[in-house]
Amino acid sequence: MDLKWIYWAITMFAIVLVVRSLYREKSLREQLVAAMVLVPLLLRALFIK
Amino acid sequence: MFEKKNIGSRHTATVLLMVAVAVAAASARSYLAMRAPGPDVDRVVPHAGFIQKQLSDYFQGIRGSAADTEVYIQEGAEPGGTVLILGGTHANEPAGVIAAVLMLERTSVSRGRLIIVPYANMMGRTHTFPQDAHPQTFSFETPNGNRRTFRYGARTTNPVHEWPNPDIYIHPASGQTMAGVERSNLNRAHPGTVDGGITERLAYGLIQLLKIEQVDLAIDLHEASPEYPVVEAMVAHERAMELAAMVSIELEFQGIPMRLEPSPENLRGLIHREWGDNTDALAILLETCNPSAGRFRGRTDEALILTGADKAYKKAYELGRLYCSYETGAKPMADRVARHVTTVQLLADNLEFVREGKGIVIEGLPGYQELSDLGVGAFLSDQWQSGPVPADDNE
Repeated sequence: MDLKWIYWAITMFAIVLVVRSLYREKSLREQLVAAMVLVPLLLRALFIK
Repeated sequence: MFEKKNIGSRHTATVLLMVAVAVAAASARSYLAMRAPGPDVDRVVPHAGFIQKQLSDYFQGIRGSAADTEVYIQEGAEPGGTVLILGGTHANEPAGVIAAVLMLERTSVSRGRLIIVPYANMMGRTHTFPQDAHPQTFSFETPNGNRRTFRYGARTTNPVHEWPNPDIYIHPASGQTMAGVERSNLNRAHPGTVDGGITERLAYGLIQLLKIEQVDLAIDLHEASPEYPVVEAMVAHERAMELAAMVSIELEFQGIPMRLEPSPENLRGLIHREWGDNTDALAILLETCNPSAGRFRGRTDEALILTGADKAYKKAYELGRLYCSYETGAKPMADRVARHVTTVQLLADNLEFVREGKGIVIEGLPGYQELSDLGVGAFLSDQWQSGPVPADDNE
């Protein structure tokens, strides 16, 4: 049974958390960190399959 | 400087989100380009007489998968032995790949059979290692001024096909434990399994090829870092040691030193060990010296792949830290390919002496000096540039 969808679901969940953090942060530096964390997550979830 | 001012807002968050998506999309475009590189990249123009098969013709378990790869066979008029040449087990060792392609495009067989698999692990050709900064392609200019372009891949199968790796890989046939990443390494996966990971199934397919085609001599073409002790070397299974020793001496006479290494009995999963143990073939692995894959290297670009010239390696050589000669401060691709081609030619020429009635006669390959002087591009075909040419009808 192919369970790869589990990894995809975990990645999507992480993206939701990081985007939520991005919008809640008031510090631009923390927002920059969140945006940098998002890049590999977006790559994995949306583009690389 | 930013945190004290609290200047982050919903607007900055939106801008940063869009930037992140744009960077991810641009990276993805570059990454995915290696999976669909265009019709002329990695293209081969087999010499007249070769017929094309697929590895899945020997093992259905990889049919339709990313592991399936092309197998080319040429049979001479006179019966003799069967020789297999494998390139691209590790896609980041380009001289092995290019040597296999060059032999596929130049070789004429008058006795015996020659089988060439130029791209053994296609799944290693669709990515490069993260943070290694390798270019995705490199190319040669042919005498007509056209370009022959090939992908520079990675040592292991693309994680898209083989993921996740375990913390510890247990080699199925022996129970030997290895680093988890070795599960994706074709040169640790032999003899493979029918229902294992995709790399193990690929290894199983190659073993079936050796068995079904009754291969007498199997040669796997590799490259190694200059600082790695097994470089410019032939690694031979004990049954192939006599042949390898004869060829090593002949190479010495020609001024091409080639170390002779026995295949370690307790190092499992490697081609020279498992092919020798599990088939009737004499198994030999060749290593040339490739600075572009080494850890001491500096700027990593197409020029490094093609010339092997690197300041750090020159310094390391002067300090006595390398296991191959680096006096000129370079290791040109032409020299590395010439070393492979010359060694294969001598192995084929001498096969009759260790397997009576199983000799093979191959012709058309350039000599070491000729290839070294004129470069690889001089011996690659570009006939399709002037119009479509059937893969097995190019002469």
